This record gives sequence, structure tokens and C-alpha cells, in this order.
Amino acid sequence: MKYFLNLFAFFTCTLVFGQVSEDIIPRDAVSVFSINNVSLLKKVSMDDLVKYEFMAEVQSELFNGSTNDKTIKDLGLDFNQKLNAFFGQNEQYELSGFTFGINDKKQLFTVFDDFDKIENTQLEGVEFYRSYSNYLIIRGTSGIVIRVDPNIDQVAAIADSIWLARGLGYFWDNQSIEEDYDDEDSYYSEAEDAVEAVDSTYEIAIGADEEEIIEEDSIEGDLDSNDLLSKNYWEMRDSITFSLQEVYLRKITLEIFKDNIHLKNQDVKFATQLQRPSDGVFYLDNSRNLHNSKGLWGFKAMFPELFDDFKNIYSGNVLLGDINLNEHSIDIDFVANYGKELGSIYQKLNSTKFDKNVLKYIHKDNTGFFTYNIDLNEGYKKAFDIVIPILKDEKDPRISSNVLVAELINEFVNTEEIFKTYKGSMFGTFNGYKKVKTKRIEFLYDEETFDYEEKEVESEEDMPIFTIGFSTSRPDIPEKVLKHFGRMTSRFKNNGNYWEIEDAFLNSISAYIINKNGLFMVTNDEDLAKNHSNGYGAKAISGKVAKKAKDSKFVYGYFDWSGALEKLPREMFTSKQNKILDAMKGKTGVLELTSSKTTISNTKFKLTYDFDGSFDNSGKYLLDLVNSIYVLTK
Amino acid sequence: MKILFYALILMTLSSCIEIVDDLSINNDGSGTAKYTINLSSSKIKANSYLALDSLNGKKVPSISDIEKKIEEYKKKLENKEGISNVVFETNFTDFIFKFQCDFESVQNLQKAVKEIVASENKNLVDDEYVWLSWKDDEFSRSLPALSNDLTAKMKSDEVELLKNGSFISITRFDRPIEKQSNANAKISANRLAVMIRTNPYLLTQNTEILKNTIYLSPIKKQVKN
Repeated sequence: MKYFLNLFAFFTCTLVFGQVSEDIIPRDAVSVFSINNVSLLKKVSMDDLVKYEFMAEVQSELFNGSTNDKTIKDLGLDFNQKLNAFFGQNEQYELSGFTFGINDKKQLFTVFDDFDKIENTQLEGVEFYRSYSNYLIIRGTSGIVIRVDPNIDQVAAIADSIWLARGLGYFWDNQSIEEDYDDEDSYYSEAEDAVEAVDSTYEIAIGADEEEIIEEDSIEGDLDSNDLLSKNYWEMRDSITFSLQEVYLRKITLEIFKDNIHLKNQDVKFATQLQRPSDGVFYLDNSRNLHNSKGLWGFKAMFPELFDDFKNIYSGNVLLGDINLNEHSIDIDFVANYGKELGSIYQKLNSTKFDKNVLKYIHKDNTGFFTYNIDLNEGYKKAFDIVIPILKDEKDPRISSNVLVAELINEFVNTEEIFKTYKGSMFGTFNGYKKVKTKRIEFLYDEETFDYEEKEVESEEDMPIFTIGFSTSRPDIPEKVLKHFGRMTSRFKNNGNYWEIEDAFLNSISAYIINKNGLFMVTNDEDLAKNHSNGYGAKAISGKVAKKAKDSKFVYGYFDWSGALEKLPREMFTSKQNKILDAMKGKTGVLELTSSKTTISNTKFKLTYDFDGSFDNSGKYLLDLVNSIYVLTK
Repeated sequence: MKILFYALILMTLSSCIEIVDDLSINNDGSGTAKYTINLSSSKIKANSYLALDSLNGKKVPSISDIEKKIEEYKKKLENKEGISNVVFETNFTDFIFKFQCDFESVQNLQKAVKEIVASENKNLVDDEYVWLSWKDDEFSRSLPALSNDLTAKMKSDEVELLKNGSFISITRFDRPIEKQSNANAKISANRLAVMIRTNPYLLTQNTEILKNTIYLSPIKKQVKN
């Protein structure tokens, strides 16, 4: 019998300890990006990977210089397991981190050497390590690096409460708030001092070194019992933060490592998504984002039943995606899932035809454009039918009066005409940069005395050229508004085919308004307004791309990255940045976003990045691109 | 710290910044300091930055923030010993900013600048550092130590943006200049002013570039008959 019990215990341990990296993602994670290491590493060598500048930064930030002369290969990671990055938030805390597989723990700690072991965690087979606010937790062959940050409002509330209970009044009443925020240096240096003080205290507390604990005990014995009360406000607040971090981390780790509760076994959609044979997957639970949204916590506290009703509308609103790296493209397929009620609103909203007129105003050589097709009138009606009945049940006088106002507006205001004026469908184009004429002030010096005077001279500056427009079947309405402004100010000029508003953009250049062909457009493209107010004609976009835009039901986006590179004003970049831009030439491509027809349960999107040029494989190409963007923006 | 940040923003956003540093010294050592920053050739870029909430992780000040800060400095300067007639002019249409004040002595001017900078960040001020000195017929000037600190904090990419700008330093006197020590400087035709024309980039590379000792012709003493 004992033999069988031992055997059972062995298998149980093997099952639990056999958890892989995705089995230790906290259930509070709202978004997860999961990389299938095997498929990525088949295509990208680690030696190449660590040469990238962005990787060097990641390594130094995470491991504080401990990676000198090492590579990620030296991390001791098990590349047969997935690498999962996660982020989550609830009313108590925010959490972020990543989980991974381990095949050589000794090697792992040659790099994670800033982490100190925490003893006596009371979780058998689980090892805890800590470096400042980051924790590394290992069980078997998988590990998690996690950081938990308590909700700052909750910390402040506790700190204020203790401060008040000490008889010190309301902390902020005794402070000059303006001074505190104005003088950032003293504010932060005080906070930094407090953090350092707490860190050193904490290090002693968790040092798990007997000698040090004894030492600390003897120090405590010498202190006045009131000494803890002498902490200043910020020190006390940091202590509360650290205490709460421990409480929440304990809760999360007990769930994962004791109760075996984690995201994968709590959300079947996530579990299913992890099974996809793609190079990477992502998961974003929007319904919990709504639940956890800080801006709505007050609303939730005041109207819990109403909040629950709205939560139900958003239930099932989960975004799931696959990333695939191919030889000449990167494909990202994602599905926005909806619950029945939200789905029915989106379905109505997206039940409109593509407005072909927009194609006339997209030049065939444009760098990028998007089209967006919605029927606001239908969406409004459906949302009204779903939302108002929920609100009507609420007895709160403010909500009740708001419902009344909404119903009266709906009865008295001609919403049909409003949504004829602004139907909802719109488009935008980007045509690179052009030199635009501006004026500048120059100082002219008299050589006799070096006295100087100001003179206004013509100048040129680079300006991104764009057009934004929306469909309208009531062009007379915006025309009325424009005429009104035309009477009020000389800056609004009616030039027949278009309106010009002087110095409208950045106080320097004109905006042009074209109100024709069922479209209301705003642009800073003087050429479009003056010469093509009825569209580009034969120079307008046509063929395959135009067809794709027409066929994409909800949204279509196109961006020619190589075209954008050609049009970028080089003088705006430094020589280093220009070198990177040159290096990217020849291996750039086209980014395209398409969407399916919205059903009651989902909308499908596909983002494709096609490229040509010289590269070893698409994984390396992706990293080249990421690195270029990183260097350009850092 | 904010004074540094505002200065940094002004300098880095403007590939064509023009700065005029105009100092007039009277025979008794009093004088007028004028400082002009001209960003009009980059006003689209300046407006673009002002439209942003943050830049490089730092909050971008709004126009009202800048005006409030300028008013604050004005009040601080007005209360400094030996400083009077403080005038700040802001032109947010063309992005031209002018500052002017009178001082009783160059020591008063330096002390006032140091105290104001120290009120923002004590670490930026070296109490011993002197960048303006006036004695009899000799006037020396260089770059305030603050500028050295400022440039040391700038990234190489940001420094590169300053290459297209211009920095003009003018020093004026009531009597003729006999000679001066800076090879890059030029004396006006009427010999009452010295100008050094450089650019902010060169200033960051060589903070000695403005260093100059100017020798004036002695004041003629009236002979009593």
C-alpha cells in the first residue's frame, strides 16, 4: 500500500512539477504575448540576436550588467518551452512579467545574479528570489519573473488613514502641494531617499542570514518603541507599498503553485489559442479591461448593478491573434470576439457599403491611406435599443434624468439628418513630406555699430501632407457653418471649389476644405485643393489595391514603408539615423490591414507585411526592422 | 531642473535656432543685458512640439506654463540687488523671445543669475565661477558654467541638431576698443562693439569659444585750467 502511495505521490509531483511556462501565467493577466521559441530560434541564431542594440539594452536593464561577455544563450533557458510576456491589472494591483522554461538553473543564475534567494517560503519545491521589486520564482523546469505594483490610490488611502490616526492631520493639508509638484528635484530626491531607506531595511528583513537577523534584533532592541512612528509620510507610504506587494504576491503565487489556478486553466479561449501552431500568439481580454479600468471604478462603486449590466454587454470581448513569420511576409491574424449584445451593435454599425468616392481622392503614388466604413445611424439605433432599457431599470435620480434627456433628444432631434451629415465612414491619406512656404524673422546687423533690426523673410519648412475626409449626404450643413465663419473672420476664404483657412495648422500654414462629391475633406495639400477638387482622375488609385479597399468590409489600411523612406526629409534626421534609413532601403515593404464582414460574434482582421530585398529569413528581417525602429526612436 | 529642461527643449527642437547675447557696459560698470532667442525659422516644428504632451519622456510645457515660468523669473530677477527694468517679451506667433535688464555692476548680474539658477538646482551653480569681470579699462567674458553643464547632458544626436543654428555674442561699450584677445571676434567699424558669431554646436564642443578680454581706451581725465 505504501508503495502505491509513494507511486501516486511521485506521479502527482511529476504532474505538478511538469508544468510548462504557460501553466504559471497568473489568472489576473489580461494581455499575454506568447512566443514559440522553437520556431523563432530555428530562424534566428542567438548569436545574431544578441548583436542587436535593442537586445543589448534589454539585457543590461534586466540583469544590471551581469551579462558582460555573455549572450542570451547563457541564460540557461529551455527553448523548447514558450516565452510568455504578460500584463494585468485589477482594483488592488498591476502585475507584469514573463514566464519561461529553464534547462540549466546554474547558468540562469550567472546572469540573474542580482536576485537574492528568499528562504522559508512554505511552498515545497518552489524557489523564490528577489531583486528590488522583481521576483523570480522557479518550480521544476519553468520560471516566472514577476513584478506586482499595488494600486497607488489604495496605498495613499492607507497612508493617509494612518497619518490621520497618528494625530498628524491630513497630510496634504499641511503641505504646499504646488511646491511639491513644482520642485521635482526635491520631491523625487525625498522619495528616492525614502525608497533607499526602505530597501536597506527590507534587505535586512529578507536577507535570511541568521547573523544579520540577530544584528537587526539587537538594533530594534535599542530603539525607542515609538521610533517606527517617526517615519515620515513618504517612508511610511513606501513601507505600505512593500507590504502590499508581499501580500499580493503571496496571493498570486499561492494560486499558481498551491491551488494550480492560472490563466490557461481559467480561460478556455486562451488555452485554445496557445495550441495554435503559429510562431507567436497574443491574447487580450477586453471584457476584463473594462472591469479593471481605473476610470470606471467610481462608477462601479456607485452603481454596482448597472456596472454588472454593462459588464455583461462586454462579456466575451476577447482579442486573439496569431503571428507567423514567412520567407517574404509577416502575417498577423486576429479576431475580435464579441458577446451577443455588443456583437449586434457592431454588426449594425458595420453594415454599410464602401463609399467609392473616396478612391478618387487617393493618389496612386500615395504613401499610405486608410478607409473606415461604418453606419453611425444604424449603430446608434441598435445601441439605443440595448443601452436605454438597461439604464431605465436604474433608480438613481441622475441616471434616470439622463435617460429622460436621451429619450427626449431621440424624440425631438432629427437624428436621421445628423447621421446623414456625418455618416461615420471616413478615410485618410498620407503623402509624405513637402516643403511648405512659411515666414521667418531674420536679424540684420549694421557693420558700423552691430545694431540689428528684424526683417520678415520667406522660408521653407518640411510638413507632412495629409488628407482626412468623411462621407456626407448633407453637404449643405457644413457649408452653412463655413459660410458663417467666412462672415466672421477673414481667415476663412471661399475660393469656389474649396475653402482656405489661413494659418490653420501649427499656426503657420493653411488648411483647405473640399466639400464635394458626398465627401467633406480637410487637407494641407494645396495641390489637391487647387487642382484636384474633383479627385485625381486617372492619377487616382485603381486596380488591385483599390479593389482590396472596396472589398475590406470594415477597415482597410495600406502603408508603403519603402515609399515613406524615399519621401522622408533627410535633413530632419541625424547622420546616424540617416545611415540606418539607408540600410533599410531595399528591404522594406508594404503593410496592409484588411477586415472581414462583422458578424454577431466577431470581426476578423489580417495585418500583412510583405517585403522584398536581401535578408536571411523573415525572423531576422523582423528583428532588423525592430532594431531600426528602436535606434531611430531612442 | 526645469530651467534646464526648458532650455534643452528650446535648443533641441530647433535646428535653426538663433541666439543673440547682447551686453552693453557703461563706463561706470553698470549696463544692460539683452538676450534674444529666435525660433521663427522652426516655428512649425516648435508648434508641433507644443502640441505634444511629452517628449523623450518629459512633459512638454504648454504656452501658459512657459508664460507662467517667465513671469516667475521676472519677479525673481526684479527682486535681486542691483537689477532693474526687467523686461521679458514673448512672441508665440513667430517664436521670438526677448529678455532685457539693467544692472548696476557685472557682479550684480552674475550674482542674480547664480541665485536664480541655484533656486532651481543648487548643484548647477559654482559659487566661485566668474564669467564676467570688469576692471578699469579691461573687460573679460566667457560662457556661464551653467552652459557647460547643459551641454554635457545633451546626447550627441541633439548636439548635431544645433549645427544649423547661430549664436551671436555682442559686447558694447561707451568708449572705443583698443584691442581684444579672441581671434574669432570682430570689432565694429565704430570700434564701440565686439561681436563673436558662432553656432550652438560649436559652443557645445568648445566652451572657450566666447572667451575674450577686451581692452578699452583709457578715459580721458578732464584737465582743470
